[in-house]
Amino acid sequence: MTPDRKPGRRRDYMKYGFVGPALLLLIAMNIFPLLYSIVLSFTNADLVGGDSRWVGGLNYKFVFRFSQYAQALRTTALFVGLAVAIELVLGFALALALKPRFVGKTWILTLLLIPMMLPQAVMGLYWKLVLNGHYGIVNQVLAAIGVGQPQWLTDPDLKLLSILAVDVWMWTPFMMLIGLAALNAIPGHLYEAAAIDRARPWAVFRRITLPLCAPLLGLAVLLRATDALKQFDLVMAITGPNDPATQTLSALLYQVVFRDGKVGLGTAYSYIILVLVIALASAFLRYMDRLQRREASP
Amino acid sequence: MRYLRLLFVAGYFCLAVLPLVWLVGTSFKERADSISVRAKWLPSLGPVQAEGPAFQVNAEGYRQLNQVYTGAAHTFYHYLGNSILIGVLSTLASVVIGTCAAYGFSRFRIGGARDWLFFILSTRFLPPLAVVVPVLMMYREFDLQNSHLGLILLYTSFNLSLAVWLMKGFIDDIPRAYEEAALVDGYTRLQAFRLIIIPRAAPGMAVTAVFCLISAWNEYGFAMTLNNQEAVTVPVYFAGLQGNVQGLPWPQVTAGVLLFVVPIVVFTVLVRRHLLRGVTFGTVKQ
Repeated sequence: MTPDRKPGRRRDYMKYGFVGPALLLLIAMNIFPLLYSIVLSFTNADLVGGDSRWVGGLNYKFVFRFSQYAQALRTTALFVGLAVAIELVLGFALALALKPRFVGKTWILTLLLIPMMLPQAVMGLYWKLVLNGHYGIVNQVLAAIGVGQPQWLTDPDLKLLSILAVDVWMWTPFMMLIGLAALNAIPGHLYEAAAIDRARPWAVFRRITLPLCAPLLGLAVLLRATDALKQFDLVMAITGPNDPATQTLSALLYQVVFRDGKVGLGTAYSYIILVLVIALASAFLRYMDRLQRREASP
Repeated sequence: MRYLRLLFVAGYFCLAVLPLVWLVGTSFKERADSISVRAKWLPSLGPVQAEGPAFQVNAEGYRQLNQVYTGAAHTFYHYLGNSILIGVLSTLASVVIGTCAAYGFSRFRIGGARDWLFFILSTRFLPPLAVVVPVLMMYREFDLQNSHLGLILLYTSFNLSLAVWLMKGFIDDIPRAYEEAALVDGYTRLQAFRLIIIPRAAPGMAVTAVFCLISAWNEYGFAMTLNNQEAVTVPVYFAGLQGNVQGLPWPQVTAGVLLFVVPIVVFTVLVRRHLLRGVTFGTVKQ
């Protein structure tokens, strides 16, 4: 073996060998399908196959006239807004409360983080047992303390709230985890200086804690928002895809494509969802790029 | 203030953990006890009064998992086997391909590397349902519908973004001096990768594998829309049971759910120090 120290041509090819397979797979499984579905969205293709015809922009015209679409958009926006806000406030409050050292901290934190790792579709099904209006444990506890018997799973006003509650149960730990990381990164001398200046706790929180945590919390909010926007598993498990009270964009898409079999219309829908997701994701990516650059040049 | 904080944490802790405790409890009940309108919350090993809050612990829920229930064609274990096969193979593939790509991006000068990396990450944000229709059409052409291979390919590509980003974080942490010394000693690039980098990146690969496995394990959208007979995974199996008109056999369902999530809990405990990295694609390191 002769040492080959000069950066020669062979090495140049080598790097494509390393990164090539990953990029090829992603192009085949993500980019190609997306391009292909542009074509589909201009046809009247259906799920069972058979001949499809070019219909021009008809699908897109139909999407915007369809009131169900506007409703799904409203439901999704409400869901994402509420879920992210509640999880952020609750999760950050938990992070603040759990920041000091105490005995068994690691284990308590690990236990609290478990819901975040569980399968949403499966846990959603299990929550139907917990929230059942008749024999569910939640309503039995409410009855014992003399509060009414809300029908969590059947009352149209409460269904979305139930899904929201399960989402909060699963994802608050995520905000807590990132909140704790942000809090731990604040240099202790800032708090010491504030103590010497006899700053009030509220002022310390507003002037030191919050601004220094904001970048990471922003990252968490964007990540969570893009995830909540796709919410499908819990909706499917708890109310099914075609419930007007809880039909999110993904659920409507499922209904159109897989229950009604309208592939052309469905892909046109999915493009409108994609625009939303891409807007959020690119905000996220730009944000992360900035964070990384800042980290690289301290 | 101190007590208020304690109360808040204890309250949240109860709300977060009690549902899991109830899940375990239900899996040891009889069917009648699991949907009793008088909550049975006190486990008891001996016989109990019918009206009391106690229930007799029994393992029927677990034993009867080998039965076929309405809404499914096979037993729970059949679907568990599918989940294991698909989860393990797709995880192996994404970790291997992801580690190579991460090494490439970490050590070579690649034109537009930043853009490529962000392109890779962006694929994670696509909603499964927006991609699934063209994938379904494509799979029909190649006869991959309803096959294990189809889901493995899909999960591999879905997890690649996570694998590349996590592994890049881990490989960036390995000093270049090690391989440079090896290259000077006459190792080829591939030898240096295999003998110097891989052993040092192994803990990171294990962590990455855990995150890939969990996300493949939990996936529902693709699994449900691409399969209705073969290669059905556990989440889809449970969802299918909902069609049962007599109501779900809750002890069996909860027993199955528990068996299904125990590996996740074990893995979560094992990688607890890396959870932050895992959920932020390796961008936030503690």
